[in-house]
Amino acid sequence: MPSAAGQAGTAVTAVSDAPRHAVPAVRHSVRATTTPAKLRLLLIGLVSLCLVWGAVAAWVVSQRASGANDVASATETLSLDGQKIYRALSDADATADTAFLSGGLEPIGGPLRYRADIAQAAAHLESATAAAGHSAGARDLATLSAGLPIYTGEVQTARADNRLGLALGAAYLREASALMRDKLLPAARNISAEANVRLADASGRATGLPLALVLLVAAVIVGFALYRAQWWLFQRTHRRLNPGLVVASVAGLVSLLWLGIALSVARADLLQARTHGSTPVAALAQADIAALQARADESLTLIDAQGDDSFQTDFVTVQHRLGPGPGTLLTDAVTAARGSPAAGSARVAAATATTWYGVHRTVRSLDNNGRHKQAILLVTGSGPRHSGTLFTRLDGSLTRAIAADQVVFRRHAAAGSNAFIGLEVGVIVLALIMAAGCARGLATRLAEYR
Amino acid sequence: MLPSVLLVAAMTAWAVPGSAAVAARQYLPARAVAQPTPPCHPTASSLRPTSPPRVTQGSFMAKIRARGRLIAGVSQSTYPFGFFNPLDGRTEGFDIDIVHAIAKAIFGNPNQVEFKAISDDQRIPEVWSGGVDIVAHTMTINCLRLEKVDFSTVYFEAGAQVLVLKNSRVKHLKDLRRKKVCATLGSDSLGYIKAAGAIPVPVTNFTDCLVLLQQGDVAAISTDNNILAGLKAQDPWTKIVGSAFTSEPYGLAISKMHPDFVRFVNAVLQQMRADGQWAATYRHWVGTPVPAPPPAKYKA
Repeated sequence: MPSAAGQAGTAVTAVSDAPRHAVPAVRHSVRATTTPAKLRLLLIGLVSLCLVWGAVAAWVVSQRASGANDVASATETLSLDGQKIYRALSDADATADTAFLSGGLEPIGGPLRYRADIAQAAAHLESATAAAGHSAGARDLATLSAGLPIYTGEVQTARADNRLGLALGAAYLREASALMRDKLLPAARNISAEANVRLADASGRATGLPLALVLLVAAVIVGFALYRAQWWLFQRTHRRLNPGLVVASVAGLVSLLWLGIALSVARADLLQARTHGSTPVAALAQADIAALQARADESLTLIDAQGDDSFQTDFVTVQHRLGPGPGTLLTDAVTAARGSPAAGSARVAAATATTWYGVHRTVRSLDNNGRHKQAILLVTGSGPRHSGTLFTRLDGSLTRAIAADQVVFRRHAAAGSNAFIGLEVGVIVLALIMAAGCARGLATRLAEYR
Repeated sequence: MLPSVLLVAAMTAWAVPGSAAVAARQYLPARAVAQPTPPCHPTASSLRPTSPPRVTQGSFMAKIRARGRLIAGVSQSTYPFGFFNPLDGRTEGFDIDIVHAIAKAIFGNPNQVEFKAISDDQRIPEVWSGGVDIVAHTMTINCLRLEKVDFSTVYFEAGAQVLVLKNSRVKHLKDLRRKKVCATLGSDSLGYIKAAGAIPVPVTNFTDCLVLLQQGDVAAISTDNNILAGLKAQDPWTKIVGSAFTSEPYGLAISKMHPDFVRFVNAVLQQMRADGQWAATYRHWVGTPVPAPPPAKYKA
């Protein structure tokens, strides 16, 4: 390494004036090479090195900046859109089903709530489609776009038949609900999961160490070359500093300092965004999706005309997945949210879930013992110990927790992304200054030999 | 509840095989051959009542009375035999009225009943497991089922026909070769649909069949004409074609463990036949003309 410039010089010298000599003579000619030739080679070597450094630094910065940008914008939007589509669709389905729970004219709030849910799902579907581009989530979004009108059509048919007092209405509702549960809700869940994978990937690109290491190695090479070149000139030129190379060194140091500060600030912010932002948000969102699924199951156990207990089986499965308990979604979310603003709400959610399961057991036991009306009351009622109230509290706590950590995420992701502002252009300009400094400094020395 | 006017209109399209005394199944003769001795007579297989209906000590009826409610496995989607009425949130129908009469005989109150919604293929498993005391679910008495459960005497006689859209040229099940025909899983309709060369499409409820027919996913629905009439009443753009090509005597299914309850239920049915309650129920749910109730026949 120490003689990188010297060896390069050797090679070029050999090309320029050695080929016609015998091999030993070549070695001799190297030793005999004049100072101007060496200076010329040094000039070419240093200028190229500075330009390469600029290119490498700019590339690393652009990789990191695009990662940070992805974290802060597209992927995050998509992940939350997926969750919001799930929430709206699940609520729409539960609302449509509940209208059939008690019989009689459906409560006036029902259709309004259902319409609001469908409108919200459609709005998030549109923004998610814009954010997804050609990613893997696009297929799930297509499933949703195609399925939603079929679903709403079947629900409207069910409603019309129901108004006429036809048992056929319940069949249309079952068909619609099956479409929702078998196709649409899994697609919404996939969008969220897919976006979370992409978020982790972008976050890795923006904070990963390998790229920083490439930058460090390049900086060491350039720095060493500049130092050796100056030391060599210093000795040869009666201990005078070369202004051009000094300018290049200063520019190099400035760019290194800027890179170091910007990259570490961005990294710290993005890691913060991940630890106290996207990770708890993803965990909380998953828990919320599971809670919504369990709530829909609870309602459906009461209107299911099949008599099989598939909805109760599903409720129990989801309950085991949701927790709280070791390795469950809620406990994971509480752990992930520890130390973030969502911590309190996440703990409330976990505690509420346990109480809710207790009431759900009462609902099942009432229903299984022929007290269907009381079971329905316990599910739809709004008293403090009613299943509906407890679910609303669970869902509300999770929603609040998600919103709180989203703020953390947005703030840090934006800060992390902002650290890159001007950096790419900056390192390129500084590299050009370095190259110009080297060229100018060495050209001046070279001129002295003419 | 649907106005019975609508129902009466629906009923004119099909003839109730009131005098159908055909004992043997017309399809699946192989099964009949496979029956062990003694020979099976589906319509004359029940136990003679010790009339009038009385809850004796230690009987299964006494256990039901102690529990406080009769548990009946019914359909929620088979208008007008057992269905969930969306207007008042109650389970209603011909089968349901019979269950109410049995509850009245046990408790003196027709409403001490829990209706458990079950699908066609759960009828025998539910009786076996004791999940229900009785199944009142448009259930045909046949020899295969008689090996597994006991039946009451016949309380309704149906026959299989075909339901198609009004613009269809189909006249009979034979016209539906290689076409999709819907029936419920666990009903014996699937067997003769397949035997006729059509493609059976099994679903859970007969209303699901009507959804498929309306959406153009199947060409026809084939099952008992009383069920088809109930579907037709819900969609005036359908028609019932052909004549009944099977005989479907309906009975109430009860576990073989409770012969006392079979006798009790038969006594209730006998009362209903005698005091005009059967005819009133028929008129209310199926319409006029009201045929004579199926005669009670017992094991020798």
